[in-house]
Amino acid sequence: MRAFTYTRAKDATSAIKLLAENPNAKFLAGGTNLLDLMKEDVERPNALIDISELDLSEIKPIINGANQGGISLGGLGKNTDSANHLLVRQHYPLLSQAILAGASGQIRNMATNGGNLLQRTRCPYFYEVAMPCNKREPGTGCGAREGINRMHAIFGWSEHCVAVYPSDMAVALTALDATVIVRSANGQQRSIPIADFYRLPGNEPEKDTNLMHGELITAIELPKNRFAEQSYYLKVRDRASYAFALVSVAAALEIEGNTIKQARIAMGGVAHKPWRALKAEQILVGKEATEATFKRAANAEMADAKPLTHNAFKVELGNRSIVLALQMAVNGGKA
Amino acid sequence: MKDIPKVTGTPINRIDGIAKVTGKAPYSMDHPVKNPAYAILIKSTIASGKIQEIDATAAEKAPGVIAIITHQNAPKLNVKGGLRGGALLQSPEIEFFGQHIGIVVAETFEQARYASRLITVTYDKKEPKVDFDNLADQARLPKDKEKADARRGDVQKALSQATYKVEEVYETPIEHHHPMEPHATIAEWNGDHVTLYNSAQIVNGAQTATAATLNLKPEQVRIVSPYIGGGFGSKGGQWANLALAAVAAKYVNRPVKLALTRQQMVNSVGLRQHNRQKISLAATADGKLTALVHETTTHCAINDEFIEPCGDCSKVMYDTPNSLITYRVVPMNLILPTYTRGPGKSTGSFALESAMDELAYKLKMDPIAFRIKNEPDRDPSNGKPWSSRAMVQCLQEGAKAFGWENRKFEPRQNQQGNYWVGYGVAAGTYPAHQRPTSALVKLKRTGDHVAATVELAAADLGTGTYTILTQTAADALGLPIQNVNVIIGDSDLPPAAGAVGSVGAASYANAVNDACVKLTQELVTKSGKQFFVRPTAAQLMRSEKITDFQTRVDSKPPERAEDYSSHSFNANFAEVAVNKSTGMIRVNRFLAVTGAGTILNPKTARSQIIGGNVWGIGMALTEESVVDPRWGNFVTRSLADYHVPTNLDIGQLDAIFINEKDEHVNTLGVKGIGEVGIVAVAAAVANAVFNATGKRVRELPITPDKVL
Ligand SMILES: Cc1cc2nc3c(=O)[nH]c(=O)nc-3n(C[C@H](O)[C@H](O)[C@H](O)COP(=O)(O)OP(=O)(O)OC[C@H]3O[C@@H](n4cnc5c(N)ncnc54)[C@H](O)[C@@H]3O)c2cc1C
Repeated sequence: MRAFTYTRAKDATSAIKLLAENPNAKFLAGGTNLLDLMKEDVERPNALIDISELDLSEIKPIINGANQGGISLGGLGKNTDSANHLLVRQHYPLLSQAILAGASGQIRNMATNGGNLLQRTRCPYFYEVAMPCNKREPGTGCGAREGINRMHAIFGWSEHCVAVYPSDMAVALTALDATVIVRSANGQQRSIPIADFYRLPGNEPEKDTNLMHGELITAIELPKNRFAEQSYYLKVRDRASYAFALVSVAAALEIEGNTIKQARIAMGGVAHKPWRALKAEQILVGKEATEATFKRAANAEMADAKPLTHNAFKVELGNRSIVLALQMAVNGGKA
Repeated sequence: MKDIPKVTGTPINRIDGIAKVTGKAPYSMDHPVKNPAYAILIKSTIASGKIQEIDATAAEKAPGVIAIITHQNAPKLNVKGGLRGGALLQSPEIEFFGQHIGIVVAETFEQARYASRLITVTYDKKEPKVDFDNLADQARLPKDKEKADARRGDVQKALSQATYKVEEVYETPIEHHHPMEPHATIAEWNGDHVTLYNSAQIVNGAQTATAATLNLKPEQVRIVSPYIGGGFGSKGGQWANLALAAVAAKYVNRPVKLALTRQQMVNSVGLRQHNRQKISLAATADGKLTALVHETTTHCAINDEFIEPCGDCSKVMYDTPNSLITYRVVPMNLILPTYTRGPGKSTGSFALESAMDELAYKLKMDPIAFRIKNEPDRDPSNGKPWSSRAMVQCLQEGAKAFGWENRKFEPRQNQQGNYWVGYGVAAGTYPAHQRPTSALVKLKRTGDHVAATVELAAADLGTGTYTILTQTAADALGLPIQNVNVIIGDSDLPPAAGAVGSVGAASYANAVNDACVKLTQELVTKSGKQFFVRPTAAQLMRSEKITDFQTRVDSKPPERAEDYSSHSFNANFAEVAVNKSTGMIRVNRFLAVTGAGTILNPKTARSQIIGGNVWGIGMALTEESVVDPRWGNFVTRSLADYHVPTNLDIGQLDAIFINEKDEHVNTLGVKGIGEVGIVAVAAAVANAVFNATGKRVRELPITPDKVL
């Protein structure tokens, strides 16, 4: 590990200031991703600003503003606490399921909401410094594009990067139209809709998100919705727990009679960002909640997939997973 | 004096359990040494070629750096000393990706690791041979005579005449041992003697190989290995890192700690090789096998050969007049493969036992009945009688206990909600041997209190060696277990066999028993009395008022043991549930019924079997080390990428032992259980997946994409 300075921030303002002053500084939250990457020499900060003790971990109802009636999750709240909070369990069970589908109990106890959103790809070429990787070292090439890419993207990749984004939590947040609240060096607060938070790799795969250096995630806001009764997070993976998704689907429905009034679908494990399945959603709205409709929706979404050498199975798997997640959602999460 | 009840065969708790769970059991890196320096290995980033230049200028100036050792300044070592896998810094040649090319020694581990990254190496690269799929057809005959073609009868004829046959290819991927404790060494010199704290499955082997490599006499090297955090074969033969720790310590004239990181484990301490196995079976309509052909193609290191004996199960499992077992191997730029739990048997049985299941299905025969029909009454490979063989009993008792009668013969008949449920069976075996082992037993009496110390250079991998030896000695001496202290894992102790190939329990327990019997006899002689009922050693110490007494034996297997073919056998039953939409598989239940002779401790034995089952389930469903075919690096370098099963993957596990008395294998009738637990698990699971879904997966691991 490279030598670095360590400062425990007293408050958000000083944390942001310390970071903004040094382009090579990083925030340290739970450390479950950053420290691993530092040990592997992938992340090379020369200063860590420990934000884990900032007073930004509360989960509370939103009383006014755009997301009135929704809830706000503190940027430094622990994943475990978010997943198990009564407000989350009652009103956003999809989010609770998604968080609990990720990592392990021990890691979730350390991991924070903000850190989770900013965790970096698990692409093995990104992780091994002896390998080429445009995300880690722009211009060196993409090791995975012609390499081992079973775990990689089928949507939205570019010739520069085929990595997938790993968070489960963010997939649910994408389906639920969350907003990421950040504070910048000039003291301003920005609200970034989650759909604009993540990026596709394009020519700049080194950028995972549109967050700017020095910006601190203070909260994640969830708007009020009517999905609590009919939502489901399905994660397909190589073992039953403690593995990243081959494909995951966050599905949320509002059904009246047997007609779908609203539908939200987001997918994980398929792209450089949580993949909102807008085409599938469009097909669902106004239709009857039947298997045939679900299949049509899934087909429409997966038709655009562009698999790589080793991940063609993700197209069929994505297709089936959308259908199953929707069925599970209709049944209130039960098979 | 009241008799002490026998403890051998009872499920006492592990003697070392409390020390382990309280963190008091010292593993390799925990031994206290004064003022250690820390070393990290530098690894090559190409798989084939030659080092042109190593630029360590920046690294030398990095904080805390004490020394940098490469092939340019390393001492001359004996590359044929017996350590595995080369990589001893003796030349600039690169034979595999991640080969050790240097050592950085610094004041702290992090300083060493940081400095190691400042080193730049220029290479003269060659095209590496790392793509097994492309190279397999260049495979040649093995050099190892044991792997020569073994032919009986005329398989070609039998196959061409048969109506019922299976000819299929089964693939098992590269796997890694990944014990919880990565390989780690503390080296401490004292004059021209070096002490190496280093976990070793074969304590004396580690000593002699390291000594030879360092150009020392064995007595100049001491291996200390009281506890081992798992090894699974990777700590059987030892690897370059052990000698390099000694080299580094000598170089900096300080004790040195050298630990591998998890990522370095993939190309430092061997692997289980990728095996491509073709099985051809032929049978008559009533299910009698007429031919069994097992052809294995695999890879080895560029300059060294190791081949898993994949055909071993096929040699002994079934009665067939015609049989052929072959191996072909292609050298590749990957680290030398090595023994991995159930070496050859677990991979080989996946192929054999899958094929048996396929043929049973074609014959419309129950797979258990099919196996029983082909049960051999002697070892088909050499005609020797079995010392004991409980295969049929294992299958029958297992079928009853598992509820085999509820299995549907046709696949896709058992649907539960969104899952297909299926049952599978597979038969496993592993040879039983006792190896020469010495043991020293010392008795000490204080008043009426007699205590024993038992010493031998045995190994406890976490398997229960301490416990079973305590039990054996307690019974043989007439002492309660609290009065027996077992000391193992040190090359200064009487030499012992390794804890490898399921020989540990048989070799150690028989040696300790022999020593205790001999000691008792010597006490009787010393007393000059004649006894109607022979007293125990403990009683003699008291009655004869002896305060100290000791004896040593060099124990060997019984002379007639070689007249018999000795193996443990087991039947494995799996129930799996396969998600109809996603292909995710869960093993609901797993049962292993094992005949392994005398079970010294049913609790530690059960742990061995279910531990093997869990790894076998990993082999079946999750484990795979993946090589990039362009560069030869592993892309699965951490336990986040190399998937071992989690608790949630494992349903209910059960182990049953057949009450088996083997009078030929060795004095105590112990056959060993370390390996057999894993052997037939993957096939049982794969067969259950077929029974559930109708999908025959012949390529491990059976990940969701393969059953979609
Ligand atoms: C073995 C393993 C398996 C895992 N499996 C899964 C899985 O299946 N699914 C899944 O979703 N996740 C998984 N994870 C990832 C885990 O969820 C993340 O590591 C965790 O959420 C990161 O949170 P943290 O607080 O520890 O972040 P840190 O490691 O502290 O930080 C991560 C990044 O975020 C930045 N950062 C942190 N907080 C803020 C903030 N408030 N504002 C701005 N920047 C910030 C840091 O500077 C850093 O760059 C796994 C992790 C491991 C180690």
